[in-house]
Amino acid sequence: MFKFVLRALWRKLWTLVVISIVSFGVIHLAPGQPSQIDPMNPRFTKEQLLRYRAAFDLDKPLPVQYGLFYQKLFTGQLRSFKDNQPVIGKIIERAWNSFPLFVVGTILVWCYAFPLGIAAAVRRNSVFDRLTTVLVFALISIPGFYLSYLGIIFVVETFHVDVIGLRTFGRESAGPLAGAMDRVWHLVLPSALGVTAGVAVLSRYVRSQMLEVMGSDYVRTARAKGLDEDAVLYRHALRNGLLPFVTMLGLLLPGLIGGSVIFETIFAWPGIGRLGYEAILGRDYPVVIALNFMAAGLTVLGTLLSDLLYMVVDPRIRL
Amino acid sequence: MRKTAADARSPFRLAWRAFLGNRPAVMGMAIVAGFFTIALAGLVLTSGSHPLLDPREVRLPDKLKQPFARPNREAVPAASLPRLGVYLLGTDELGRDVFARMLEGGFVSLSVGFVAVGIAVGVGLVLGGIAGYYGRSRIGIGRLRLLSVDALLTSLIDVMLSFPSFFLILTVVAVLKPSIWNIMVVIGLTSWEGTARLVRAEVLSLREQEFIHAAQAVGAPGPRVIWRHLVPNSVAPVLVSATLGVAGAILTESSLSFLGFGVPPPAATWGNILSDGKRYIFDAPWLTVIPGTAILVVVLAFNLFGEGLREAFNPKLRER
Repeated sequence: MFKFVLRALWRKLWTLVVISIVSFGVIHLAPGQPSQIDPMNPRFTKEQLLRYRAAFDLDKPLPVQYGLFYQKLFTGQLRSFKDNQPVIGKIIERAWNSFPLFVVGTILVWCYAFPLGIAAAVRRNSVFDRLTTVLVFALISIPGFYLSYLGIIFVVETFHVDVIGLRTFGRESAGPLAGAMDRVWHLVLPSALGVTAGVAVLSRYVRSQMLEVMGSDYVRTARAKGLDEDAVLYRHALRNGLLPFVTMLGLLLPGLIGGSVIFETIFAWPGIGRLGYEAILGRDYPVVIALNFMAAGLTVLGTLLSDLLYMVVDPRIRL
Repeated sequence: MRKTAADARSPFRLAWRAFLGNRPAVMGMAIVAGFFTIALAGLVLTSGSHPLLDPREVRLPDKLKQPFARPNREAVPAASLPRLGVYLLGTDELGRDVFARMLEGGFVSLSVGFVAVGIAVGVGLVLGGIAGYYGRSRIGIGRLRLLSVDALLTSLIDVMLSFPSFFLILTVVAVLKPSIWNIMVVIGLTSWEGTARLVRAEVLSLREQEFIHAAQAVGAPGPRVIWRHLVPNSVAPVLVSATLGVAGAILTESSLSFLGFGVPPPAATWGNILSDGKRYIFDAPWLTVIPGTAILVVVLAFNLFGEGLREAFNPKLRER
């Protein structure tokens, strides 16, 4: 088992190295040297060029540039082009803003996807199952931005509350209770809309997983013993059926930094996704590279964690 | 032609019958077929220097007209009146005919979906085939044989899967400047991992079967074995995932257009019609509802169609 863990670690380490190279390489995709001033482009000034040089050490060979970039990133010397703040600090600050969305979203996903998937599997081929199947596919297929606008119109017209941004502007003095309600209203819509696709996809997985377990021999044995259906389903089938979803705990990790670009842009939510969008719009390359690298890195860490978790809960894996 | 009993029970027939029994999937297929027709008709009707329905004709007196509104014959010059005599789906903030713009955008969505998925499937087939067939041979520098082909390619897949794909696509498109070709290529090159995994797994299991050994015994070279024997036998699940991939690509393109990194104007896509229309959401809701619903219907149809195919061609799913 120790050997297995060590091997997994070694592989993930290599993946991380390749990820760092790819993230760094993306900005070199642009045709021509970034240092060549384009006389036709009024936005690329001499001053910008100097900043670019300082951030990426363009006068050094490529491998050295790569090494220096990550050294600067981790020592906090790498600064955003836009406001000269350290990149790491900016990302942590914005991730903290995305955190409430992430927590509420995760709770919503788990509270809706599991009951929905289990109920659909138990009542396979019933009207309920067919209806949820079509509904799930509709939720997967609807563009998030379209759904958001429908949601905004609905909430604004029926409840007359403001939902854009972190809180209503100019209502800071309204007292703690009103302030809290205001925060809740601003939080509910983006988190609920942001997770619709997640709920849909996860409930499909839960359904097929449950169906697979319900078709297995030991469930038939449990039925043959004369156990009542609830005990068969919820004490025998469900326990094994939910096993793979333990791995999801690990995969939650990248969600900490992977706030949704679309939803945070629509709802003017100052989180990670919006930071990324602003950075891309403003050609703030240090932030863009760091975000890509950190998001991918957290995914790798998440898969490592989920592999280990799976090994703990499922003894069959350890062989 | 007379039907024989064996004919009726061929795997394809069985799968087809199972597919026809799945009503949502058949409806999905019908909508997909309809979408093809409309998109191709749209290409014919809206392209050329004097198109039948001009999606770029600006008529400022007729801006933000409701669907089925008639044009203002006094203010709009006769040459730029809509050919149909009515704005079927209304007009946008520049008085452009939304019906014509939707037709033009339909073909953009179709071509982005198919070209991007074509690229993804192509890359996935080649890399997956190589990983499965040559997986055991080792590569390295000089005499150092560091790692196997399989380890190299699977870790490449791991790397690609780790990136948040939408943000990566956004980054690359922003660096390369948005154009329809860049978008197709970037979506394609960031979504081949699933296909490669599928093909690799299929090839690994097929590789040890007799017909492959027979092909190797008569001296067929590796690429021929992969291309003529292994790939055709592993292509069914790939085609199913490609159908679902088209849905994903259309959705990604519309999201990019929505954020302003899509196909640049004046070309119309469903994403940028919606993106332009969102500013008039309370005055002209049709500018949001029409493209949004169109994207929803087409993507849903591709998803239902693909899922139906998957269920029909997978005996395990069919019988349960």
